[in-house]
Amino acid sequence: MNRFFFRIAVLVACTTCCVASTLTIAWVQAEEPDTVPDVGVRFQPPTSVLLKAAHIVVSADKELATASLLLQHGKIMAIGNELVPPGGVEVIDCQGKYLYPAFVDPLVEFDVKPNESPTGYWNSNVTPERRMAESLHVDKAKLKSLRKAGVGMVLAAPNSGIIKGQSCVLSTADAPLNELLHRSDVFQHIRLYPNRGNSERYPTSPMGAVALARQVLLDADWYQRAQQAAAANARLPRPDSSAALQALEPVIRARQTVVIDGTNELYALRGDRFAREFLLKLIIRGSGREYRQLDALAATGRTFIIPIDFPDAPKMNTEVDMLDTTLQTLMHWRLAPENPARLEQAGVDFVLTTDGITKPAELLSKLRSAIAAGLSEHKALSALTSEPAQLLGVEHLVGTLEVGKLANILVTDGPLFAKETNIEETWVQGGRDRWKAELTIDPRGQWKLINASDSVELQLEISGEPDELSAKIGLPTAFATAQGAKVAPADNPKTSTESASSQNKEDATSEKPIKVKELANNGLQLTGTFDAQKLGSKPNGRAWLSIVLLQDEGKPLAVDASVLWSDGSPTRFHATRVSPLSKDSPKADQPAESGARKSSEDEQAGSERPPAPKPPGSDNKNKPEASVADALPSVPCAINYPLGAYGRTAPPEQPDVLLIKNATVWTCDQAGILEHADILVRCGVIEQVGQNLEPVKDAQVIDGSGMHVSPGIIDCHSHMATDGGVNESGQTITAEVRIGDFIDSNDITIYRQLAGGVTTSNILHGSANPIGGQNQVIKLRWGSLDEDLKMREAPAGIKFALGENVKQSNHAGGSSRYPQSRMGVEQLMRDRFEAARDYREHWQHPERRANSLPPRRDLELEALVEVLEGRRWIHCHSYRQDEILMMLRLLEDYGVTIGSLQHILEGYKVADAMAAHGATGSSFSDWWAYKIEVLDAIPYNGAVMHRAGVVVSFNSDDAELARHLNHEAAKAIKYGGVEPSEALKFVTLNPAKQLRIDNWVGSITVGKQADLVIWNRSPLSTLSVCMQTWIDGRKYFDREQEQIRQQQDEQLRLKLIQLAAAQPGDKEEEANDKDPSLWWARYDEFCHHGHGHDDDREE
Amino acid sequence: MNATMSYRRPTRVCALFLSLIAACVPAISLGHDFIPGAPQDRPIAIVGATLHTVSGNDLLDATLLFEAGRITHVGPGATLPSDTEVIQATDKHVYPGLIEANTDLGLVEINSIRATIDSREAGSLNPNVQAVVAFNPDSELIPVGRANGILTALSAPTGGLISGRSALMQLDGWSRDDMTLKSEVAMHVRWPSDADDIQQLTEFFEQARRYEAAIADQQVGNAQPRDLRLESMVPVLEQKTPVIVAVDELDAIRSVIAFKRRFGLRLIIAGGTDACRCAVQLKSESIPVVVTAVYSNPSRRHSPYDEAYTLPKRLHEAGIVFCISAGGRFGASAIRNLPYNAATASAYGLSEREALRAITLSPAEILGVSDRIGSLQVGMDATVFIADGDILETPTQVVEAFIQGRRVDLRSRHTQLYEKYSEKYQRASK
Repeated sequence: MNRFFFRIAVLVACTTCCVASTLTIAWVQAEEPDTVPDVGVRFQPPTSVLLKAAHIVVSADKELATASLLLQHGKIMAIGNELVPPGGVEVIDCQGKYLYPAFVDPLVEFDVKPNESPTGYWNSNVTPERRMAESLHVDKAKLKSLRKAGVGMVLAAPNSGIIKGQSCVLSTADAPLNELLHRSDVFQHIRLYPNRGNSERYPTSPMGAVALARQVLLDADWYQRAQQAAAANARLPRPDSSAALQALEPVIRARQTVVIDGTNELYALRGDRFAREFLLKLIIRGSGREYRQLDALAATGRTFIIPIDFPDAPKMNTEVDMLDTTLQTLMHWRLAPENPARLEQAGVDFVLTTDGITKPAELLSKLRSAIAAGLSEHKALSALTSEPAQLLGVEHLVGTLEVGKLANILVTDGPLFAKETNIEETWVQGGRDRWKAELTIDPRGQWKLINASDSVELQLEISGEPDELSAKIGLPTAFATAQGAKVAPADNPKTSTESASSQNKEDATSEKPIKVKELANNGLQLTGTFDAQKLGSKPNGRAWLSIVLLQDEGKPLAVDASVLWSDGSPTRFHATRVSPLSKDSPKADQPAESGARKSSEDEQAGSERPPAPKPPGSDNKNKPEASVADALPSVPCAINYPLGAYGRTAPPEQPDVLLIKNATVWTCDQAGILEHADILVRCGVIEQVGQNLEPVKDAQVIDGSGMHVSPGIIDCHSHMATDGGVNESGQTITAEVRIGDFIDSNDITIYRQLAGGVTTSNILHGSANPIGGQNQVIKLRWGSLDEDLKMREAPAGIKFALGENVKQSNHAGGSSRYPQSRMGVEQLMRDRFEAARDYREHWQHPERRANSLPPRRDLELEALVEVLEGRRWIHCHSYRQDEILMMLRLLEDYGVTIGSLQHILEGYKVADAMAAHGATGSSFSDWWAYKIEVLDAIPYNGAVMHRAGVVVSFNSDDAELARHLNHEAAKAIKYGGVEPSEALKFVTLNPAKQLRIDNWVGSITVGKQADLVIWNRSPLSTLSVCMQTWIDGRKYFDREQEQIRQQQDEQLRLKLIQLAAAQPGDKEEEANDKDPSLWWARYDEFCHHGHGHDDDREE
Repeated sequence: MNATMSYRRPTRVCALFLSLIAACVPAISLGHDFIPGAPQDRPIAIVGATLHTVSGNDLLDATLLFEAGRITHVGPGATLPSDTEVIQATDKHVYPGLIEANTDLGLVEINSIRATIDSREAGSLNPNVQAVVAFNPDSELIPVGRANGILTALSAPTGGLISGRSALMQLDGWSRDDMTLKSEVAMHVRWPSDADDIQQLTEFFEQARRYEAAIADQQVGNAQPRDLRLESMVPVLEQKTPVIVAVDELDAIRSVIAFKRRFGLRLIIAGGTDACRCAVQLKSESIPVVVTAVYSNPSRRHSPYDEAYTLPKRLHEAGIVFCISAGGRFGASAIRNLPYNAATASAYGLSEREALRAITLSPAEILGVSDRIGSLQVGMDATVFIADGDILETPTQVVEAFIQGRRVDLRSRHTQLYEKYSEKYQRASK
């Protein structure tokens, strides 16, 4: 079975024996039984190899100081001090070398062939039946790169899709797939977001992707039940065959583990929740950002696959770099290497992956950074060897150097994690890669070319790296001149143009040596060509050089050179080496020396003996590479959340008792505006409101003199704090998608709005679809995790939308999607309500459809059933009066009361009908004129609806506008004369009513949650400033402390900038590409209301 | 109409008045229905109000007299000509008309409807196009802005590298002939980030220089053909027309300053997020800044949350001449919120006095019309309005307004629709 392999090896060995770096010596096991017929005469060379006298690291727990390893047919046959090798064994002296088990990478993505399963799922993002063992595209270059990094075995996972398919375990050897494959169908791989840049096909957004994944797992369960039902009852229709749903059976029964991409710390938590929802066995593929939510992630109890592709220092080349680089970016650069250590210390079960590392050499350097940052060497080694082997179920094959395991071995020139240790060789399944370039015969140096009449005629210089030799030829005088010229610039600095032009002349005159082009070395002969110019009497023009390397045993290297000149005349030269290496090419010095030392031919020739290997564990080598933090003044950098500026290290304290004294209190309830009033809060709940409240012992007291206190601002229409995409625009009905799956607690907008007094916000799906996704009400508990932002008391809701956006009227390039008219919108909604009724009927009375397959859970229709049953409130984007009436009448047909009409800019035309229905209106204060359907929008809208008895709010629909919703409320006074105390309710109590959360928030009323804003003057004044924002009796924003916080953050940023600027080597350009939270819009891109007005429209 | 009439609640009188107007003006779908004010035919005195002169101190219980479109008296007590119309304005406030210094008003009606957009020409070098040519006097947006005291606006082309020339328009009149206060105010440039674009812009200015020299050379046989683009650049190079460059980031501002030096331009910066970081240069080069977005989010995650709110204050402290515009993100439909942009700047540190100046006298100075508008001084245009409170406060109503002494209609499409549908509910309540 290795015949093909062997032939290549022989061929390679014959042609390029001078350079070993690209050469794999194949393991040949011709004597083993094989199902493939022999062709021609068999090759049956001896096959045993002895790696002799090495320091063998058997595993993280066991080392043998000096021992040998016997390999045969790709496996470890014996290990010990005094092995008696069989005759014919190839002995490789490993004195001074270290042997380690080759790494096992628990997740490497590979390209896949297109899935063409005829029994696949309807959505091409769902391919659970894809088996990597069959659809893997074997990328030889990638395997080689992995071997070079030290990886001998990988889990090969598919790289696209949402439910992506099943991975397999491969060795990285340079061999056909059948020899590489060790385990198939290991895990099922899931990613909770779609491909980027897809704006057409469902799902276009992460929230659509999760909804789809949920539905798929429910469908997999139904598929099993349907099959059983059909088998039990011959009269039932036969369910369609689905390889996809069948392939998920072991997943939903928790027999097969799933790996979910935790592309940042929130995705990791989402993956955990998703797995919990369906009782899946889960491994989380981490991001390197786990340290940001270590406790929460540790609490999942999951196993993590952790990358170590720590970012390079941010680029600090310009003043703009310095100004623009965020504290978050800097802190991540500083903290990322600590991630593995922090996971280890937190007791998280994790293994390491090379994922994200593009240059093989970086693996060891990143590992050393991790160790310098506190990761134990024991964990570092086992997390790359025995632990992933166990995880992948191949611990009997790899992970340690023990008898019977595969010959997957690293040969290093020192302890693996010591500074400057290199992987010299990687053995995989007995195949050997030598990464250290070596010359079997080293021709480098200065050569005098002596012609037939015994006079020195020309001089030749050979230099360069072993795998990239270069040569120059010329008159001996030219070399002398060249040396002189090289010194000149240093002694007497000239302008760069002068030295550049002198270099340009180099090839054109005889005063400089002439570069030999096309230099090739096959180990026995060097060949090349040069443009002869003024070489004594020799003809000018293209000449060809050939040098035969003559290495006689025990004698110095000789060469036999010949030149064929442009006129066809040849000259033969003898040559003697005047110096082994050119004095003025010090760069070439080091490799040449080592090359000579390692060359076995040289040893046999009795030339320089290699110096004794450095004692293992000598001080300088044993110490891990000094980290960034060691080399420079340390910058203490506490982890906060969200990471970077404005982040918190702990939630704000909740005083047992809080007393705000002597303020003007805008209660927003029947009590109206109270002057010189006090508010008493106990454990986050308002206990008393009134004048001259009795002092309470140990109360935290705030002097509110001259201040105004209002309830927290509530924004009934927002798209902030979601990283799941605001719209799932791949379908017209997306009731199944949930904003709540993608609350982004990292969104800095949360803090910015807190600073404007916002305490509660309704995060809505966008307006792409007649029936959009489910909304999520959050409280702006900045610093809390996504789940803790959710307002648990808020009832469920859903976004509906009407008019231009859902008709796609303003789509560039047009649209033909149903609906194209407001007539169609009505019909589509009615049809879905009918579908939801049928669905409910089927589930409630399955007996009425005895000849049907069992009912299938449909998350879209379930949400609509909740709407029909009044358990999910509709928040409907609407503008024109006709569509408003349509919506109300349609809902009345189904006995549904609407939650709120959003935008509702023509609500003033039908305020009576709204009031009659019980509809509420959540409007912009004064937006208009950005499209045809808002031509009749007027700022008096709110006042008219209010006077007609409609509960009215003003919302933002905009991350900036939400920062001063109090200004918007004042417009209800200006346009239509609403009383100030009522106007403030437009952004407090009324949105609370619209969201059905007014039992808990919206006013300063005894028993409600203490969500309070302290203003320096009337909240309805444009001149007022929000001084403090309290949620649940905790102070989340305090303008007076802002100054201190800003200074602290900026000082840390400046220190880290200095640290980053001092780093040598590569610099990071933009890390945004790695953060999935930045990939999707944070506003309703279908809304056309002037986001970036000047820029968007014009480009 | 009564001078002190409030629009808080529609009245039957109002509706009647409306129907009268509707009867004599044919229905026009894209053109508002309000008749421009008649030329001032007798002296008008606003008596008893607080006069916010802007150029000087606020004057309490003072009289503003204007005749034939010009202010003839500002101060306590005045001998009024016999035919003076007296507006009793006790407890009211009088302001010079507010000036919106950066908008596409009149050039764009509805953003999403291409046919209504006249603000941007094809190609990237359009110095020759002029806003005044395409300004729609009947835009529905004009009365809406006017109703909140915005009586003058700089209507500017947008897009490309050189967008064209702006015009300062009075927000009442029959056509450009009586609405234009200044037809060629500034050349508008959008500073590019791309080096090739900067090169293109530089080369174009070089061409303009050579063109200027070619035209100046009167030698026989050196007849330079006329080039509309380059010709329009000559006043720019001669410093007759300033250049308003839209630019926000520090390195771009620095480049713009170098560009100004190289071509000897009169430069005005629009935007200026990072302007305070090169305050010394801006100050020493006398480069003013039009702050276009007080209501903006911070430019960087780690920026102070109130970065945009405090920009005017920081510019003021740095001694940089600036004004405030509301024409940023939401376009001309939002210019009525100009005073609230200034108020927010004031809430975050700018004095109220400076905030008011930033939307009156400062833009007038920056745009070169402070001899006509922007303050209450004798000899200035009577472009003023009366409000029932502090104009920086949202609930304040503008109750009367004059442009060059012409009493302007403060109704708009919005008040019309408000009145129309108020009638619906009044009938129902009977």
